[in-house]
Amino acid sequence: MISSLTQAERGAAMLITLAGMVAGLAMAAAGQGDPMGAHGWIVLLFFALFFGLLARAAYGSDELEDRSLAYYDDPTKVGILLSLAWAVIAMGMGVWVAAQLAWPDLRFDAAWSGFGRLRPVHTSGVIFGFGGNALIATSFHIMQRTSRARMPGQVAPWFVLFGFNLFCLIAASGYLMGVTQSKEYAEPEWYADIWLVVVWVVYFTLYIRTLARRREPHIYVANWYYLAFILVVAVLHIVNNLAVPASWTGAKSYSAFSGVQDAMTQWWYGHNAVAFFLTSGFLGMLYYFLPKRAERPIYSYRLSILSFWGITFFYIWAGSHHLHYTALPHWVQTLGMTFSVMLLVPSWASAGNALMTLNGAWHKVRDDATLRFMMVAAVFYGLSTFEGSFMAIRPVNGLSHYTEWTIGHVHAGAMGWVALITFGSIYALVPGLWRRETMYSWKAVEWHFWIALAGTVIYVFAMWNSGIIQGLMWRTYGESGTLRYSFTDSLVAMHPYYVARAFGGLLFVTGAIIGAWNVVMTIRHVPRQVPERDHPTTSETMEPALPAAE
Amino acid sequence: MKTFLKPLLKPFAAFFEGHAKAHYRLERHSLGLTAAIIVAAGIGGFIEIAPLFTIDETVEAAPDMRLYTPLEQAGRDIYIREGCYACHSQMIRALRDEVERYGPYSLAAESQYDHPMLWGSKRTGPDLARLGEKYSDDWHVRHLVDPRALVPESVMPHYAFLLDAGLDVESLPDRLAALRAVGVPYSDEMIASASADAIGQALPDTDRADGVFDRYGEETAVRLFDGSADRVSEMDALVAYLQVLGRLTDLPAQIQPVPEG
Amino acid sequence: MEISHELFVGFSKSFGLFYLIALSVGITLYAFWPSLGGRFDKAAKSILDDEDGPCR
Ligand code: HEM
Ligand code: HEM
Repeated sequence: MISSLTQAERGAAMLITLAGMVAGLAMAAAGQGDPMGAHGWIVLLFFALFFGLLARAAYGSDELEDRSLAYYDDPTKVGILLSLAWAVIAMGMGVWVAAQLAWPDLRFDAAWSGFGRLRPVHTSGVIFGFGGNALIATSFHIMQRTSRARMPGQVAPWFVLFGFNLFCLIAASGYLMGVTQSKEYAEPEWYADIWLVVVWVVYFTLYIRTLARRREPHIYVANWYYLAFILVVAVLHIVNNLAVPASWTGAKSYSAFSGVQDAMTQWWYGHNAVAFFLTSGFLGMLYYFLPKRAERPIYSYRLSILSFWGITFFYIWAGSHHLHYTALPHWVQTLGMTFSVMLLVPSWASAGNALMTLNGAWHKVRDDATLRFMMVAAVFYGLSTFEGSFMAIRPVNGLSHYTEWTIGHVHAGAMGWVALITFGSIYALVPGLWRRETMYSWKAVEWHFWIALAGTVIYVFAMWNSGIIQGLMWRTYGESGTLRYSFTDSLVAMHPYYVARAFGGLLFVTGAIIGAWNVVMTIRHVPRQVPERDHPTTSETMEPALPAAE
Repeated sequence: MKTFLKPLLKPFAAFFEGHAKAHYRLERHSLGLTAAIIVAAGIGGFIEIAPLFTIDETVEAAPDMRLYTPLEQAGRDIYIREGCYACHSQMIRALRDEVERYGPYSLAAESQYDHPMLWGSKRTGPDLARLGEKYSDDWHVRHLVDPRALVPESVMPHYAFLLDAGLDVESLPDRLAALRAVGVPYSDEMIASASADAIGQALPDTDRADGVFDRYGEETAVRLFDGSADRVSEMDALVAYLQVLGRLTDLPAQIQPVPEG
Repeated sequence: MEISHELFVGFSKSFGLFYLIALSVGITLYAFWPSLGGRFDKAAKSILDDEDGPCR
């Protein structure tokens, strides 16, 4: 892959890695005796690895292809593989933390293996590692295809991809060492946050520069969703992470906000991380891969525009539904509740639009597990947004808040929607991207689908049940007018559900492993596809093959 | 549909064609789209959050509110480091059952010096907002060393290693200074003597302990939190923090909040 | 402070509502404006055959 870089590009890349090594060394030196020092070494090694690879090829020949002929897909390929690797690791972590709640001694006798430190490894690992890499990879694919233009330059996409993964690496390793800001989904400390801003700015410019090269004036709607994801996440990230480090030689920092203001800022961030990380970008995926796979244009393009602006506008107000009945002023709670309920409209518009696109192509859904992944994802999207709007109603939230119900809602969205649409998109993408005739095993895709669906259903039902039981037990009064159950009683009642959840999660991660294996086997063992089209094409990429009739 | 709409819209066409063109141009230029997204998304967030920063009203006045001592703040940092907030909330909602189970509901004033707040979003374990002085120091230490020895059904991880880990008191002045930078009113003296105060609070009957009373008030708990006078451990800090939860001000108890619902 | 807080909240509530309505109307008009239909249809179909290489 380095061989397709020009000498100038190699030079630029070497300079960047060199700068990264210097930064890493400085961190390692300054942060001695602090986790920041360890992070310095990680940064140093990370950049040294790439520096080494580049140096080895520095004077190699550059057998340059004609760049005007083909899209630049190498970063997409690597992004997909990284996404799958993170999926297996981070969902594995999910199973581990789930198991710890069922059997608390299922851990090592070391600080790093406690629930509190592992849980953010799971959450950041799935959201950023698995989800983020998939978003970056697919966005590279989609922005080029819909613009019919190649990305400008070949350094920026790698910088974005690997820079982002460095952020994930620092985040995950930091949690194990106890480095965290405690803000959910914004746990990494100040230096990681600054680094992410740099990466994100490059990502945004890359996207805009690619769009600027398009010939068609209209920008396909999937790109809008990706742009909203990039932009709003940037704003959220910068504001919520404002903090003052205790010292420049240590990881610890203190948030600029406190108390109510901090709570509102955090959940403005938290809810919109859901909206713009876990929803908007993945809707971009849906709006591209689903019509493409079904070989039908989206049912209503207009509806997709309406729901885009609806989602972009309404979501941002909804954060305060995380703070019902708390010390947050009442009017802000009401505002959050109102907008959360209204959110159902654009959300269901998107879910409905996806399903209506498939109307008339149900035979394809029946035969093609890849399309079925996408369809079920749209269903779960509709389901979890309905549930979310319902839970945002104050009295309902009075019951659901703090309970396993929230966890059930999270995973209906995260597993059922985010993960399934991602797997569907990956299966749609892989054969074409590597110019393979087909996936290595369509049977395995089928298996993955059914295992993942079963795992999701088991997980979500277990948590719905347990959450409602838990919420009711906390507020049940006995005859004498006192609370009937101790907290411990409710904890005991959770045990069977915790076991079921761990089992559901195990199924789900098994599916992910099968998927990763299938992708690797496709790359390694499926013969290359011979271009065979009725019009001449110089494209690297061919249409993905539909499964052969079995 | 179209034939029905067209005559209806015709009078507005001049205006709207213009508008449509404007929007179309805006969209052609991806930067215009960018601006539109920021405006659409930015305004909601701004409107919702901005008023909170102008308020004295959202935060009640709590004149008796004291600051975390350096030892308690160090304990708070350990609470964050270990991810306790992932399972324990510190926010009692204004609901009858919560008030009866955990105590008066939480007021905004109580977390006004909490950078960041630790209200939490999940109760795998019980709420801790009013945990302070509910159990003895000894109970806490034994519970943290082996939760299931005291509560057989518990799923809490153990934190025995905190007993063996010496507390890093060196960095405390820096930490307090950073907290002052974000708005916690620590005095120069408090910052300068932060390390000594942290040690003093865990070692009663020493000169250093007196300094703690001077600076943070006679009410401050100065004890051998982990039961050992050999050195100040991370356990000391964490237990000192747990014992002060909900006790920085009397306000909630004073105004006897009446719960809703 | 008192006044500016009241002011802020009042502004948030009233302006927010107008903003919401204006935005919804604007977007709806844009999306359903008859003469834009062709452009949208074209965009929707454009992705079905976009693999034949970049044009620049
Ligand atoms: C293998 C499947 C999975 C398992 C076993 C699993 C397990 C868990 C567990 C045990 C928790 C902690 C719950 C608690 O504190 O009570 C959790 C939290 C979470 N997981 Fe997963 N998970 C899985 C998949 C996923 C996926 C695919 C995503 C996202 C794409 C995800 C996102 C989250 C989030 C956001 C939270 C935090 C929820 C909150 O704070 O309310 N999980 N998961
Ligand atoms: C219309 C759309 C949605 C609304 C109105 C909504 C609303 C809510 C509500 C009310 C809560 C509970 C807050 C609490 O009591 O603490 C919540 C939590 C959550 N939701 Fe949603 N939801 C929506 C869609 C989604 C989707 C599609 C996903 C995932 C992909 C998702 C992920 C989450 C997560 C991760 C949390 C847990 C946050 C935490 O406590 O850590 N939501 N949502």
